[in-house]
Amino acid sequence: MSFSTSFRLRALSCAAALTLLGGCEILEFSPNAYNGSKDQTDLTAKHLARLAANPLPPGDTLRFVFSGDSQRFYDHAEKLVKSVNQQRGLSLMVIAGDISDFGLAREMRWIDERLSKLNIPYLTVIGNHDQVGNGREAYQHIFGPLNYSFIYGDTKFTFIDTNSREYNFNGKIPDVPWLQQQVSNLQGAKRQVVMSHVPPDDGDFDSRLTPAYTNALATAPKLLFELNGHRHSFRIGETFNDGVTYINSASFERDQYIILTVWNDANDQPKYRLKTVHF
Amino acid sequence: MRQFLTLLLLSAATPAIGQVSATAPVAQAVEARPWYRPNHVQVQTAGGMGLIAAGVGYTTLRDRLEADILVGYVPEKHAGSTLSIATAKLLYTPYTVPLSDKFVLRPLTIGIYGSYTHGTINDEVKGQYTKGYYWFSTDTRIGPLLGGRLSYLRPTATPTDRQRRISAYYELGSNDLYLVSLFSNANRKSLSPADVLTLGLGLKMDF
Repeated sequence: MSFSTSFRLRALSCAAALTLLGGCEILEFSPNAYNGSKDQTDLTAKHLARLAANPLPPGDTLRFVFSGDSQRFYDHAEKLVKSVNQQRGLSLMVIAGDISDFGLAREMRWIDERLSKLNIPYLTVIGNHDQVGNGREAYQHIFGPLNYSFIYGDTKFTFIDTNSREYNFNGKIPDVPWLQQQVSNLQGAKRQVVMSHVPPDDGDFDSRLTPAYTNALATAPKLLFELNGHRHSFRIGETFNDGVTYINSASFERDQYIILTVWNDANDQPKYRLKTVHF
Repeated sequence: MRQFLTLLLLSAATPAIGQVSATAPVAQAVEARPWYRPNHVQVQTAGGMGLIAAGVGYTTLRDRLEADILVGYVPEKHAGSTLSIATAKLLYTPYTVPLSDKFVLRPLTIGIYGSYTHGTINDEVKGQYTKGYYWFSTDTRIGPLLGGRLSYLRPTATPTDRQRRISAYYELGSNDLYLVSLFSNANRKSLSPADVLTLGLGLKMDF
């Protein structure tokens, strides 16, 4: 075993994979399948572990990068990584879905090959394009859960699948009861952020669930904002005039990203500062 | 092992019948066997056509042009759902290099394939999307093929028998969606042709 793991050459591992069938990306069973790289799996869990290993000192402000819709923009992804790596004081990057364009595993891996060169961990939420064909399964294999939450730097992040059209508006997506449960309990965090791909005022969001969804956010304690993608252009505002700020990111194609700095003021109220970086 | 078993089964099911001279004109060869009887059987792994795929094919233009049909299978653990893939290939092999009495190399085969995948999870249902929401098909793929093969000539009863051979082949390929990714303006520098390649390996038995 130690003998075989000492071989680092990709060609050799591919040759070995011939006998095992499925460990080598070029030997693709179907573009809809996700057999291939054993390294590029459970990326969400791996990036969360990296975060947990580097805790932010209590009371510090948290700075993170926000973007979305990396789909098929590989040159732009490389430029983005170079730019982000020059920034200081960042803890993580979050990406609001549509990692891929065709819901194919190989596309998700292409994006990861570039984003894995970031100095910071990155975390994603699933987009509608990531659900085409068997994309939802590929996403779960390569990245991880469709709905999840974590706490870092006194901030709770809740990421939720809002791609209702991909489930043909079955009335269950987004999972509002799950969201309610997550945002109602800060679990020791001092503020919180929600991120999803499709914003709740979009035609691809199940309109029957919009009131319950937006209400869950409006009543969520210490909520800073909801982050969205899907629209490919920057937008910020109180979409429903209910005190909840929605921030939509531009796509990777636009060669810009957002840096968000979050902290609590003297009255323990959450505050943020938004900076748009063009590169 | 699985490939060999499948090949054995297929070869047993379709006994060789050719009693036609290897040098006979093509028209004569076609007349000698019923039109629907295939010229070869094959098994393949990968190349986007299944973990395992098997099929039959026809040969014409003095063994230079082949039309193959395969049915492939991808188990759920590799794709999230069980996929069956129907593939049609059209292959052209311009020249043949005899290596010895028993071995022949066909260094170049070019071709195209089209495939249809059944069993994907989020397959478009009527009314799910507005027209043109996704411009591409999730089930139908088309792509180029480039390969080669080494053939072993099986002994025949008389020297004039039709050439029976068993060949090992490789096929590099890609598909429409990978090629769109490669050739779109946004990826001139980032993606390389090697990124979009697939590889299929197979055995083909001509009889």
